[in-house]
Amino acid sequence: MAKLVPLEGLGHEVVVGSLTPSREREYKITNMHTEGKHPVYAIVFNFLDVRYYDVFATACGPRISTYRCLMDGKLALLQGYIDDNSDESFFTVSWACDVDGKPLLVAAGSTGIIRVINCTSEKIHKSLIGHGGSVNEIKSQPLKPSLIISASKDESIRLWNVQTGICILIFAGVVGHRHEVLSVDFHSSDIYRFASCGMDNTVKIWSIKEFWPYVEKSYSWTDATSKFPTKFVQFPVLIAEVHSNYVDCTKWIGDFILSKSVENEILMWEPITKEENSNEGHIDVLQKYPVPGCNIWFIKFSCDFHLNQLAIGNREGKIYLWEIQASPPVLIARLSNPQVKSAIRQTAMSFDGSTILACTEDGNIWRWDEVDQPAIPNKLAIVPSKKQK
Amino acid sequence: MVLCEEGNNESSYVVCVIESLKKKITSDRFGYIKKRIEENSIKLSPITQQSYNLSKNRQTTSTSSSTDLVSNLLTKRRDDVLCAVDSREASPDDDESDNSQDEGSSTVIVGGNLSSKNSDGVTNFLPCMWSDGMTGLFGLYALRIFNISNQRMQEDQSVLGRRRIYYDTNCGEALICSDSEDEAVEDEEEKKEFKDSEDRIIRMTIQECGMSDAVLDTLARDIERAPADIKARYEILQGEKPEGSSKKVPELTVKMEDMYGDKDLDAALDSFDNLFCRRCLVFDCKLHGCSQDLVFPTEKQPALSSSDDGTPCGIHCYKLASKPDAIMAIDSHLPVDVEEPTHSLDNARNQIGSNKKKLGSSGQKTKSQQSESSSTARASSESSESEVQLISNKSPQHSPGLSKHKIGTKGGIKKSTNRRIAERILMSVKKGQREMASSDSNSIVNGCLWPRDMKLRSDTRNVIKDSVASSQYNTQSTRSSRKKDVLQMENNSSFADAQSDSMEDTNNEHSATDGCDSLRKEECVDENICKQDPHSRSWKVIEQGLLLKGLEIFGRNSCLIARNLLGGMKTCTDVFQYMNYIENSSASGALSGVDSLVKGYIKVSQNVQESLPRLPLRKESVSQPCGDGTLGVPNQRGDNYECRNMKLLLKQQQRVLLGRSDVSGWGAFLKNSVGKHEYLGEYTGELISHKEADKRGKIYDRENSSFLFNLNNEYVLDAYRMGDKLKFANHSPDPNCYAKVIMVAGDHRVGIFAKERISAGEELFYDYRYEADRAPAWARKPEGSGAKDDAQPSTGRAKKLAH
Repeated sequence: MAKLVPLEGLGHEVVVGSLTPSREREYKITNMHTEGKHPVYAIVFNFLDVRYYDVFATACGPRISTYRCLMDGKLALLQGYIDDNSDESFFTVSWACDVDGKPLLVAAGSTGIIRVINCTSEKIHKSLIGHGGSVNEIKSQPLKPSLIISASKDESIRLWNVQTGICILIFAGVVGHRHEVLSVDFHSSDIYRFASCGMDNTVKIWSIKEFWPYVEKSYSWTDATSKFPTKFVQFPVLIAEVHSNYVDCTKWIGDFILSKSVENEILMWEPITKEENSNEGHIDVLQKYPVPGCNIWFIKFSCDFHLNQLAIGNREGKIYLWEIQASPPVLIARLSNPQVKSAIRQTAMSFDGSTILACTEDGNIWRWDEVDQPAIPNKLAIVPSKKQK
Repeated sequence: MVLCEEGNNESSYVVCVIESLKKKITSDRFGYIKKRIEENSIKLSPITQQSYNLSKNRQTTSTSSSTDLVSNLLTKRRDDVLCAVDSREASPDDDESDNSQDEGSSTVIVGGNLSSKNSDGVTNFLPCMWSDGMTGLFGLYALRIFNISNQRMQEDQSVLGRRRIYYDTNCGEALICSDSEDEAVEDEEEKKEFKDSEDRIIRMTIQECGMSDAVLDTLARDIERAPADIKARYEILQGEKPEGSSKKVPELTVKMEDMYGDKDLDAALDSFDNLFCRRCLVFDCKLHGCSQDLVFPTEKQPALSSSDDGTPCGIHCYKLASKPDAIMAIDSHLPVDVEEPTHSLDNARNQIGSNKKKLGSSGQKTKSQQSESSSTARASSESSESEVQLISNKSPQHSPGLSKHKIGTKGGIKKSTNRRIAERILMSVKKGQREMASSDSNSIVNGCLWPRDMKLRSDTRNVIKDSVASSQYNTQSTRSSRKKDVLQMENNSSFADAQSDSMEDTNNEHSATDGCDSLRKEECVDENICKQDPHSRSWKVIEQGLLLKGLEIFGRNSCLIARNLLGGMKTCTDVFQYMNYIENSSASGALSGVDSLVKGYIKVSQNVQESLPRLPLRKESVSQPCGDGTLGVPNQRGDNYECRNMKLLLKQQQRVLLGRSDVSGWGAFLKNSVGKHEYLGEYTGELISHKEADKRGKIYDRENSSFLFNLNNEYVLDAYRMGDKLKFANHSPDPNCYAKVIMVAGDHRVGIFAKERISAGEELFYDYRYEADRAPAWARKPEGSGAKDDAQPSTGRAKKLAH
């Protein structure tokens, strides 16, 4: 399969964002919470359920916690889960839903066992076993949130149904990734498509369209999960070689893709292919969002619900806030604080981007709130709690 | 457009124009990006709105169930927030506050929180799945492509020329594992195509400033190309616009039709020819790849020989037909031949042939039907070898006159033409003879002479001659002619022609010179070459295609070709005649499409033939399975010794289990006990080149895993990414198994055999047999380990070897 590469030269310039902050929005640190002694690798808001827009989950060592962002900049611990295997180190956590819409937490890490936690009963719902290496990222399908994909060190991506605990498809093999898969992301509207990227410097786009019957089948499967006819998908729809180093984060913005490599920048690009033949074509790199001090791998960015902004931390504990859908890209703010010195591995943006959470390698969670407005101004995002003592 | 005022300095003006154009293009590009992003964001808003609605729905569906508030602990906890982890009352103003103190206190609070709230069920333990130490059970590369048979490496899987980074988990260090020279190779690019933007600059600038050398030079500097290229490109660009498009279309369609006419069979059989594997009988074979040869090299018939037992294949067989029918056919051709003096070599030959036939039909059915000179030559060659020399010594003296006389009387032929042709033939024959003399293998020569023999026989209707005798005579005649008396053929144009045919067949190295000859022939010969031979007329493209296939498969055996490929379309006689026709015309250099194809085919088949003696492998078909297919090792008949490759072929392997090894990492275990020399299974993997293996090995060495297996001179088996369970068998200096490279159905495969009796559940080991200096520390022989431990593998990679 041919790899698509970006065109260069006159007529294919890339719009590069300026690193001068526009100061459109002002943020200040409002809280810090020490999660534990381990690095916190993942932090994520629940965008799947209106009730929990202010609830987020973190992964720190063998521990998964859920918190709520309170109005006054405070954080409230809701639930904590610790894996019995103290060697476990969770790298990723994601929200999902069962078919009834109940919130689930899906987390995985160094052991490669994916834990599905039912948050309503606070019990383990399923443990998904299959990956042959640590799991680097899990994402839920926004339109069908009981489907998740996991990206693993074993060079495979797996599609699971967390409701039944079935591994539906394995994306690996002949034209699969050739090194650890670091990040995956479902297309926001095309239910069949997702993108993956990893240490082999490529971004691959996969389709599950022709395997959709298996997805349907997985919901009604009552037999043992091991008996499910799990299929191998060996051929992606498209391979893009946009970066020349590890690609550790990718995100669909409509039909464009944002991808981040260990090269101090995030790229927004569009694959341009001939109809019905994605082997021919090229990559059109549209915009570049520079992020200084971001040259170590496993630093991931996050977006708000409407994909207007992205937040990314760096090695020095600074956060860069970019307006994604502006041309040229606008740096909204650069958040820094002398106290935040450790590398920020992951950020989380609230529904409207007014709250930014950052988790650092030294085990802390930092909360930034927008200055002008009261924290979490969105009515929908916060339901005033009445039962407070 | 911004123009520079100073028109005097043309160059700076041009630069100015180019600059402004560039700016224009860039701003256009930015405008385009802006537009695209705006479009995308417009598309996105309904999408996010939809997800928002979905998330709202989840709330309503969930809360509708009455039990939700009771059972949904997340909602409950969210609503009555138990503990506000307010570890830091921070504001951006008190940045100066002591950090360490803060963190220290917060840790305490969090710890306190958790422990105190444990009773409220805040912290839940996820039940342990595995006992300690079992977490790594699904080892790093347990997930691999399982393939039951070897698979050739896909092109894009090559690591050659690619930058490889190895991430060391122990020290957290990334190492680049590639040679600098590889990158250099990668950077080399072929000539770039003109981009749209460059086209635009060229067009606009030239339109603006006119076409002059100065303009071109400036442009060339700017776009970094040669001025001539730019000029050419501009002309193309100009040509595209005004008229060219309308003109080109009809030409194209005409061409397309032609192509279709030619490629009928190829197109129809495209997938069969290119995708179907004739060895594995599947489409898209992973092992042997696409576009294989039609037949196995060893099964291939000698290029243009016909293996025949003398019995006709049917009523239309050329062997029957050649008696009476040939006369009729040739007689019917005769007037044409005589009236239009021949200009291509084959016609000349035909004519001579027909002349002979005329002679023959006039009464004599003996060897003297040919021209006198040739008949003497033939007679001599049919008699003993000494006689040959005798007569052939004589023949040069008298035969020219004879031949002239004869041709003159037979009328219609330009003598000079014929002479010249004959001379040319002689030249090529001489060359060919030398070539032949240099080849040692008499058998090949013999084989190649067959067709000539056949032709002569049919021409002269000497059917009575038995094939053995004729072949003998042929060998003799070749030998003798090889010695010295090539001259005898000067007069015998028909003989020489036949000879040159076979020369053509056997010595394709001379195709270049032959080509020259034929070109010159065409010059000296008259212009009106009669291409419209009745043979080519009646043959459709598809039939021609089938015939070519048949030639490739069956060799020059018209019976088989007609029966298998052209049944119902052509008879054996037709095939035979047509074969002769295309052969002759190819010898004469009249290169019609089919002929050139035939030539190409002959060339290919010739190459195959040449390479035959050198082929180290002999194909072992399913029908002859017995015997150990290994190379160089004498058969060892022990207990349980049977057709080994049969078991590989039929995949009759033992059940192998994967488990934690007693030695290190994974291990392969046997399910049932087996006896000595029993076949356990195949070591499968990806077939990669040695160069590739070397490159991959660099990474494997670092990971201390070894899945490379030397297969033969061409390939290394790499089981790293794909393979079966036997790849997990570990190395041991005192193994219970051994590996053996065995030829199965033409391919080298690695079988693992029991070295001794192995009981059920035992772990399998075999000696990896690394080359001494390349072996990793753990695989070295104990006695040598002390001395060699420090030595790094110097060159190449550690690869397993079979016994």
